[in-house]
Amino acid sequence: MRLLRRFVKRLGSWATRSRDEERLNAEIEEHLAQETDRNLRAGLPPAEARRRAVLNFGPVEAMKEDYRAQRGLPFIETLVQDTRYAVRRLRNAPAFTAAVVLTLALGIGATTSIFSLVHAVLFKSLAVANPAELYRVGKAARCCYWGGYSQEDEFSIFSYDLYKHFRDNTPGFAELAAFQAGGGLFGVRRAGAAEAAQGYPGEFVSGNYFAMFGVHAYAGRLLAPGDDQPGAPPVAVMSYRLWQQRYGSDPSVVGALFSLDNEPFTVVGITPPGFFGDKLRSIPPDFFLSLNTEPVVGSAADPNDVDTHWLDLIGRIRPGADAKAIEADMRVELKQWLRSHWADMSANDRTKFPEQTLFLGPGGAGITAMRDEYQHWLEILMLVSSFVLLIVCANVANLMLVRGMERRQQTSLSMALGAQASRLVRQALTESIMLSLAGGAAGLAIAYAGTRLILRFAFPHVAGMGGVPISAAPSMPVLLFTFGVSTLAGIAFGIAPAWSATRVDPIEALRGASRSTARTGTLPRRALVVLQAALSLVLLAASGLLTAALHNLESQKFGFSQDRRTIARIDPSLAGYQPDQLTTLYGRIRGSLSSVPGVSDVAVAQYSPLNGNNWGAGVWVDGQPLPGPHEDNWASWDRVTVGYFDAIGTRIIEGRGITEQDRADSQLIAVINQAFARKYFKQADPVGKYFGRTEMQSSRVYRIVGVTEDARYLESALDKPVGPFFFLSEPQHDIVPSTGKDTDPGSHFLQDIVIVTRPGARLTSDQLRRAMASVDPNLPIISIQTLAEQVDGQFRQQRLIAQLTSFFGILSMVLASIGLYGVTAYNAGRRTSEIGVRMALGATRAQVSALLLRGAFALVAAGLLVGLPLTLAAGRFLGSQLYGLNPYDPAVIVAAVVTLGFSSLIASLIPAIRASLVSPSEALRAE
Amino acid sequence: MVLKTLDVLGPLHGYGIARRIEQISGDLLAVNQGTLYPVLLKLEQEGSIASEWGASENNRKARFYRLTRAGRRQLQAETHDWEQTAAIIERFFAVKAEDLK
Repeated sequence: MRLLRRFVKRLGSWATRSRDEERLNAEIEEHLAQETDRNLRAGLPPAEARRRAVLNFGPVEAMKEDYRAQRGLPFIETLVQDTRYAVRRLRNAPAFTAAVVLTLALGIGATTSIFSLVHAVLFKSLAVANPAELYRVGKAARCCYWGGYSQEDEFSIFSYDLYKHFRDNTPGFAELAAFQAGGGLFGVRRAGAAEAAQGYPGEFVSGNYFAMFGVHAYAGRLLAPGDDQPGAPPVAVMSYRLWQQRYGSDPSVVGALFSLDNEPFTVVGITPPGFFGDKLRSIPPDFFLSLNTEPVVGSAADPNDVDTHWLDLIGRIRPGADAKAIEADMRVELKQWLRSHWADMSANDRTKFPEQTLFLGPGGAGITAMRDEYQHWLEILMLVSSFVLLIVCANVANLMLVRGMERRQQTSLSMALGAQASRLVRQALTESIMLSLAGGAAGLAIAYAGTRLILRFAFPHVAGMGGVPISAAPSMPVLLFTFGVSTLAGIAFGIAPAWSATRVDPIEALRGASRSTARTGTLPRRALVVLQAALSLVLLAASGLLTAALHNLESQKFGFSQDRRTIARIDPSLAGYQPDQLTTLYGRIRGSLSSVPGVSDVAVAQYSPLNGNNWGAGVWVDGQPLPGPHEDNWASWDRVTVGYFDAIGTRIIEGRGITEQDRADSQLIAVINQAFARKYFKQADPVGKYFGRTEMQSSRVYRIVGVTEDARYLESALDKPVGPFFFLSEPQHDIVPSTGKDTDPGSHFLQDIVIVTRPGARLTSDQLRRAMASVDPNLPIISIQTLAEQVDGQFRQQRLIAQLTSFFGILSMVLASIGLYGVTAYNAGRRTSEIGVRMALGATRAQVSALLLRGAFALVAAGLLVGLPLTLAAGRFLGSQLYGLNPYDPAVIVAAVVTLGFSSLIASLIPAIRASLVSPSEALRAE
Repeated sequence: MVLKTLDVLGPLHGYGIARRIEQISGDLLAVNQGTLYPVLLKLEQEGSIASEWGASENNRKARFYRLTRAGRRQLQAETHDWEQTAAIIERFFAVKAEDLK
């Protein structure tokens, strides 16, 4: 209690400083006066009386110091003093302060920015209640429709029937919800509005989706199990973003009738702000509909198909339940379900039955499609930024060491005058912590700007749609990390020189500050420069490798033409077209667009090259046995109209393309690519042969009429050769001979219109939209971009990484050069008298410069030596993470070495030459 | 010692306390008088004594210290502790070899 009271008193004593000082002086004077009086009365002469009194009293100044120490809190007072002193000193050295703060800001800003991104993409939780209780079924995300009764490695996408089986038989889940693994666009129009429908992303979800996530409606209500019954009135939930941005938070939207893909839906509520669904994606969904309305709106597959898997599952487990036990239960349930459909399973599926399993994983982050896709990019970025941070810290250390050396004399002087070593070290510490805090604060601003820049380049915003739900503001853990790093850096680099200065006998330092024999004083600095050079080499080489890889990918033979081609994206299902109306529609589109001046060719395809889509099938070549369960008989395919190959610029090598004669009533034909021919026909001529798709149970469905050159359609495995591909004719429907059913009615909803412009002609999107409006004003054009832009978009992330790494590479090279410059200049300064002697003895300028350069180059050579194995290791790491990279590309490594060497030459040449320009007499005079 | 002095003699100024302590200890304690003031400050911060300006014997301004209620309690506590300590030590000195057999 007393201690507490005392502490509080001491805290507050700051306010009464001067008054207390006066009082003490008064009391001391009074005391001395009284003692002097007493001595006088005892008979001593006045001078002696006073002297005795003072002697008896004791050392006044020491007592006063003790008094002051008792009175206030010396720790805080010295801290304040040190801070003000540090500020003053830093203000007197603006160049140094600016250099350190800037360097720190750059390093900390870059690292914080990238770590923020990594943290958001890898760890961001869904905007739901208690994400820790959520579990998802399936480790790797699969999208978007899978058929059959077997999935390799694990079951991670599920049919509606299978979901219901799990939901009804797994008591361990308090709620298990299902939702569409992919997501489509809906043509949305408010009932009664005259405007054309606009495309917005939407998702089908189960009735307990929102209940499972524990989110509540911002307005109206959210979907409930009652909405998810066959025959229930069709309702939809709108996102807060769309409600606010498109409809101005109009309350009349809730309960209003909307037409989604020309079907009436009532919007019953608005999701809470910030809710972005069940996975992190660039464009979050704006509409949520019940699973059972899926057939109404019409999609690519019938969800009541027992073996069409299109749903992801996330569930909330009961409190206290064991996830492992639930996982085991669900595996049993899966096997049960498969067994119950044994009669419908193909022979392949039956063979693979024993391997079928599933996994439960934490679901707090939702379905991790984006994380899987970007993970290795982010890892590379993290490594790069860590390197940059290291280099920055080395630079700051260098600068701090220089400052410490410069103040050696002053430190020794202070110690000679009686300052405590600990106090001096504390002063240096205060200064460095202030610098690092300033650098950290500036770094935050850079981080914010940097994150926004990177987000904008990595996830370009589509007008009218929601953006990726990652905030550019640095998150709390990252902020703390940043400040932690900066403070540590400041402490480490400020304390070392101060501490070493206090160890030296003061007289030594006072005697020969400029002639320090301590060569060891520069060892840490030289080591730092070597480290910087090594790391810079790694970064430069890495950026070279990445840029080379990017260039390789971008300049590969694509197999189609990119110039003068425009792609207009449509979706006929948004305007409610039925499959039998499509052929006429495409004919009218082609006619209308061809009449636009400047257009030389028009064709329509299910998907154009590198637009991100991929339809695949199992191939069964006629005359060969049915492929076994573990055989690779995969081929991708596309459905196109007449004139497609000319429009897209793919050469036909043999046979013919798709012509008017390939109608709905003629023989089903296919055009294959060279890879398909090589794989399934080896050296034989494929034209005239037949094949089928394994799900059609027949091998004699399509007659091959032509072979095209290999063209790159898929955006995965860009460094591997093009895979087998076949093209089908638009009007021809894949009727299975045995059942008479159409295998893929949805594949007739073609999405990409390929428009070729005449050389020299220019096409505006207005012209295109007008031409399309004349065909059908209700059919919206979703997007228009050139084929070149579409292809470029596939390389967006790789380009971003290459650019970022190059930026950091150059930055670190500049920093390393500055460090080298500093060391060389310092050395030159130290050896001024030596240089003077040499020159007086007849050395030429060149010889003196060479002397200094030799020292600098020794450092760079050491750095290169250390850096080379690191570079090779980094190259191997990059090669394992990315494709198309040659890790030991000699040209890149040599270029990096030469670049670094050249910049080091410049950096060390300047101080070397300046040193040699000094006249000998001046050099000898300088001390 | 300061507290006891103030307890016995009532409010005193700093010099007076120093002199009395010298006297009571029979001039056996030759401590620098100046060291008294930090101690007085500490006691005052703890609340055991309070101070105010007053007039000294020769009508000069001096700072007088007096014991507070809390200080009295502290004095009693410390006296008690000291006596206990002294008693224990005494028992050790009084013990003879035979008593421990």
